[in-house]
Amino acid sequence: MICFVTFYSHFDAIRMRRRLEDLGIGAVLMPVPRDLSSSCGTCLRFETDLPLPDFLSEGTEKVVEALGGGYRVILSSEEAP
Amino acid sequence: MKEKRETMILGGAGLLIGVIAVLLVKFGNPANMGFCIACFLRDTAGAMGLHRAGAVQYLRPEIVGLILGAFFLSLGRKEFSPKGGSSPVTRFLLAMCVMVGCLMFLGCPFRMVLRISGGDGNALLGLAGFACGIGVGVLFLKKGYSLKRNYKQTKAEGAALPILTLALLLLAVIVPVLFFATEAGGGPGGSHAPLLISLAAGLIVGAVAQLTRLCMVGGIRDLILFRSVRLLMGFVGIFAAALICNLAFGFFKFGFAGQPVAHSDGLWNFLGMLLVGYGSTLLGGCPLRQLVLTGEGNTDSAVTVLGFLAGAALCHNFSLASSANGPTLNGKIAVVICIVIVSIVAVANTIGKEKGR
Repeated sequence: MICFVTFYSHFDAIRMRRRLEDLGIGAVLMPVPRDLSSSCGTCLRFETDLPLPDFLSEGTEKVVEALGGGYRVILSSEEAP
Repeated sequence: MKEKRETMILGGAGLLIGVIAVLLVKFGNPANMGFCIACFLRDTAGAMGLHRAGAVQYLRPEIVGLILGAFFLSLGRKEFSPKGGSSPVTRFLLAMCVMVGCLMFLGCPFRMVLRISGGDGNALLGLAGFACGIGVGVLFLKKGYSLKRNYKQTKAEGAALPILTLALLLLAVIVPVLFFATEAGGGPGGSHAPLLISLAAGLIVGAVAQLTRLCMVGGIRDLILFRSVRLLMGFVGIFAAALICNLAFGFFKFGFAGQPVAHSDGLWNFLGMLLVGYGSTLLGGCPLRQLVLTGEGNTDSAVTVLGFLAGAALCHNFSLASSANGPTLNGKIAVVICIVIVSIVAVANTIGKEKGR
């Protein structure tokens, strides 16, 4: 599946890319697509058939799976205290 | 494919905004100042008596329109998303510093583009400084700079400033005597398009900027970070359309001396905009973007806008703002101090992040 991960800071995205690469998952650092969010930060895009790693929740705002015409939210930290 | 489409939309949005900006000048706004977020917030601060510089006092309906245009469109698109709590005091401080830089140069990044399209060569030095400032800010982003995460807020909190701006405008229309206003011919504050035209222009541009995420800082930041020209296309579109309209209306005048509401001190034009680029990168967007995010319910941006207002008042109460005669000594000292303050904020919010790897 194709996943996008949005972050609260650019550096969180850089750090997550390193961790994904350690697992052999190649991720691309890119601006957040407009149809995913109205904010303009950094996101990661990667493709994997493996189960998503637990550490994906660290410093991330949202993890979504890209479907045909939209996205399915897998994890969102927006509600966290 | 998606990115190409977004790039085209941004370019088109820029063209529309460029045309509107020059039309506002045609309808009465100061030359090369169809839009200027810094100048208009400065005029608005003056209208409320936060400073007493008689030449720059007018409650600019464009500001209200920009916030409300983004507010209503984000509500309609279900993108109104109240959130905040990401180092608000630091943002307030950064915003004050950014305003000091803007009023050294005499314009925000939006007006910088409009000044270039009007033939003002001084703004090219501003652009060079602006790009350098963003470059420095990006270095900190890459090293771990962050003002920490935001949190979900109530709808009332997110809507507070948009509704307050609407109330202010209504008050200014119903009881105008409450506000200060520069007389026609008395300075930039006295030059303005009719209220409804200014308001409509603000509403349209606010909505378009919400839809496209147009941002002058983001354009150059993303070019450096991702080699992406997408956001930059908004910038390019504004320049192209405003240039053509300025030529068509006979507003274009290339040169350095005698440019409208500008001075020709190259070093301080450069340093002023360096401060703006640097501080805005740490804030996550240019002054226009902060207004749009305020409309979307981002209370951190709302605090930033309040910081701009306070910064503008500070600039005129302490003679920090430049004029057509050039920068002031106080202004030069303030720009240096603000670059130091922004650097302290950058370092303090960056150090130690590498350890978390």
